[in-house]
Amino acid sequence: MFCRMVRKEILENLLGVRLVLSLVLILGLFTTSTVIFLDRHRGQMDDYRRRVNEDLSAFRARSDQLYRLAFHKHQVYRKPKVLTLCAGGSEEVLPGHFTFDGFEMGLPQIAGQSNFTLPRLGELDWTFVISMVLSFMALVFSYNCICGEKERGTIRLILAGTAPRATVLLAKYVGLMLILAIPLLLGLSVSLIVLIASGAETVRLIPWLRIVGVVLTSFLYLSILVLLGLCVSARTSRSCNSMAKLLLAWVVLLILIPSLGRVISDRFYRAATPEEFVRARSEAERQVEDRLSSGAYGPNAGATGADRDDPNINPVGRARYTAAWTEARNRVVDAHHHRMLAQAEAGRNFTGLSPAVVFRRVCEIWAGTGLERSKNLHRQIRAYQQALRDYILQEDRNDPDSLHLFFDDEPRLRDWMAISHRPVNFAAVPKFQERDLPLGASLKLAVWDIGLLALFNLVFFAAAFVSFLHYDVR
Amino acid sequence: MIWKIARKEFLLNVMTFKFTVSTVLCVVLVAIFVPVLADDYRQRLSQYDLHVAENEAKLRDVKAYRVLTPMVYRRPQVLSVFSQGLEKRLADSARIDFGTRPDFGHIPVLNAGPTEVNPYLSIFPAFDVVLIFKVVMSALALLVAYEVVSQEKEQGTLALTLANPVPRPRVLLAKLLAGLLTLAVPMTIAFMVALLLLIAHPLIALAGSDWMRIGGMYLASLLFVMAVYNAGLLFSCLTRSSALALVFALLFWILSLVVIPDASVYLARRLRPTESIDARDGRIAALREQFRREGRAQRATLPKSGMANCIEGPFGGRGHWYVLICDPTEAERWKQSAPLEISLNSKYAPKFRDIELSHLRSLLRQTSLAKALGRISPTCLYDNTMSALAGTNLADFGTWTQRVALYRENILAYIRNKTDNLRSPLFITQCTAADRRAYLESGWSDEVVKAVEKRTRPLNLADLPRFTYTTGIVAGLRRAAPDLFLLFVSNIVMFSLSFVAFLRYDVR
Repeated sequence: MFCRMVRKEILENLLGVRLVLSLVLILGLFTTSTVIFLDRHRGQMDDYRRRVNEDLSAFRARSDQLYRLAFHKHQVYRKPKVLTLCAGGSEEVLPGHFTFDGFEMGLPQIAGQSNFTLPRLGELDWTFVISMVLSFMALVFSYNCICGEKERGTIRLILAGTAPRATVLLAKYVGLMLILAIPLLLGLSVSLIVLIASGAETVRLIPWLRIVGVVLTSFLYLSILVLLGLCVSARTSRSCNSMAKLLLAWVVLLILIPSLGRVISDRFYRAATPEEFVRARSEAERQVEDRLSSGAYGPNAGATGADRDDPNINPVGRARYTAAWTEARNRVVDAHHHRMLAQAEAGRNFTGLSPAVVFRRVCEIWAGTGLERSKNLHRQIRAYQQALRDYILQEDRNDPDSLHLFFDDEPRLRDWMAISHRPVNFAAVPKFQERDLPLGASLKLAVWDIGLLALFNLVFFAAAFVSFLHYDVR
Repeated sequence: MIWKIARKEFLLNVMTFKFTVSTVLCVVLVAIFVPVLADDYRQRLSQYDLHVAENEAKLRDVKAYRVLTPMVYRRPQVLSVFSQGLEKRLADSARIDFGTRPDFGHIPVLNAGPTEVNPYLSIFPAFDVVLIFKVVMSALALLVAYEVVSQEKEQGTLALTLANPVPRPRVLLAKLLAGLLTLAVPMTIAFMVALLLLIAHPLIALAGSDWMRIGGMYLASLLFVMAVYNAGLLFSCLTRSSALALVFALLFWILSLVVIPDASVYLARRLRPTESIDARDGRIAALREQFRREGRAQRATLPKSGMANCIEGPFGGRGHWYVLICDPTEAERWKQSAPLEISLNSKYAPKFRDIELSHLRSLLRQTSLAKALGRISPTCLYDNTMSALAGTNLADFGTWTQRVALYRENILAYIRNKTDNLRSPLFITQCTAADRRAYLESGWSDEVVKAVEKRTRPLNLADLPRFTYTTGIVAGLRRAAPDLFLLFVSNIVMFSLSFVAFLRYDVR
């Protein structure tokens, strides 16, 4: 009986104009998004390679003397990913250009800022098509699922049979999900075929498991919209009223709530302004200067003469003072960066009331893009700075002429030979390379949001079930 | 008869669930978020006032014309509460800088690009009253319009209506009138609530021109919802089933609200690519290197430099210093170098300007194309009109930058006038020839430096031109006029199409 009902539901929709329209729209959008992605990705990869090569050449030029390695200003850019096709994560407008040396890192800047005078648009990626357009289609398919049958009088006939209401509801749900699976899977397949047929080099690196994660999450998300549609349909007697209610729910859940993130985070979780940041950094520097004046770093720690054997010079004190200075600046920069990220996350957590936001967040985690990537990249750069410093110190131990004092003051390191001046084997020097989070770590990050999507499903299913049980079919 | 039908339609609409929900939603959203947006404006305004006051304080501390490099700030627009436009994304300050030498570059140093306090917040779309209207009100307009004809046909009432001696055009006009009245109610309530909250907010004052702009915004909002209503009416007249009309109407809504605005930007990027910032910076760096080389060659012909005691000016930054005292050799060097530098700068300034302007123009051309392509969507037309009326669009920013460039020229002319075309030592120092001799004879002693420092007073800048910029209502209306007109035309076109479709509509 259940299978027959599901088949009926599918056949009804297969012959309707809604499916044709959705197919045309969804296939068109998936294809367009892939073509646009491929076009943009090629340019981004070229730019990225050029920048990496330039950075590497400059870094190599500094390998003639060990101490100079620490002072190379690395220019690190986010690596373009093939999975931005799934979830762009607003990376174009997020800071993704990091400048750092072995000691300090500035605040990340927005990389490759194109035309700032253009209106800011939503990225045309898979998550956009699914979260906005396909979700809308889910409502268009489900709005008259129950009230429409009531209008036509067929619901009485169905319920006059032996099938319990729960089975009818479940059959409708499964039928709708299968119908929605057609444009979704066709769209995804077309997108992947276009991607593979393009012969792009990155295609070889497609992480299929992550794509499977995105697809499963999409089903979980669309299921919420279908259940919402069923719930509203089971609470109204006219299909037009049902559509009106669903449209308003869609507007609130998918457009208004996600737009509130900035207002909420600006209002309740303020990050420091650039002026306050500069003031905080100056204050931290001043405190170090005060400690220097009070002799906390030893006598003559501020002296900078060229001769290390000069009795008025205190290399150890200077190293302590400079390290304190660097640490103070890094602390302020990290705190400010952390605060900015936390502000954005606070806004996004609030907008987590919308299933679309949760869905996008999960897809970004699968794709390794968005805010999580920014955090991850920042962590990796800090770890790399430490690895570079460790490497330099390790190499320096072999040089008996060196003072083995490592601090952020290039002229002093040069004049005092505080760190070895010997050339190094560039091949052995650690180089920065962005690494994706392992799949397990991504899953761990996404698990709460997946749980939230499952909870949405449960709540809407319970609501739809209760509504249908109480539904007056007369 | 028109009025009778319109009244009936209006009453039917007003009593529907969707009308109540949309109106309540719209008003509640406006009531909740206008105070928040107004507060945000007030914060930006107090930040602006603070910056202006700081700038004035620094001006009172300028002791040499060389460091007379004031900042200019863009005042936030009060109507950004209604339409944020590009307000938060474009530069809000400019430095009237002359490089390390006067005349270097004609373009003020703008904080070009996004001036986000927190760039990570870019992941959220801008939220303003326009967003509420263009989403909620347009949805309501479609929900009211899609069933106007097709549902009456389904219910059989259309045949009854047309059985009376009422011509079809009158019926359709009545339905249009009913739609206008229905949509005007929530729109008017929401506008009034927004205005009341704005007026009630302490520290926010609306000028006379603001009221005129608000009037224009109200008119634009009505034209926008009517354009969407007319689209819904057209689908209702084209289909025999209200469900199908609804599906078409919703597809139109998605296209107009999401797909067309995004697609226009994608297409503009594709059809009119711009030079990358890296390429522009590369060209500037190459030219700067050439400039430096020539400068070095020129300086090699100058007499040897002497001893000087320099101090950082109040505005700070690289190369921002003046001479407190120097010895005669250094003074002579400055005297000889000034004409050389002026000629060198005059040669290079237009080249720098051309690079920066050509880049900026290419960005603006791309944006204009995106704007032109987006005009097929009423939502884009509405957005353009509202941001033009609120003074938060690109044209306003362009006018501000032009004013800043003009102001820079005024400051430069002022400095030239005060310093004998930059030849007077006053440009760089207040110390006299006697001071310079004493400095040399004392062996550059600290006492002489301290004595001169004590004597060096801030310049009298009472006659310094001050920066003023206000956006006139006429300019705002002129900028909004084309899009407002197109909104009106789209209403006419949609209604004409509905009219033709309704004349041929089979009511059986």
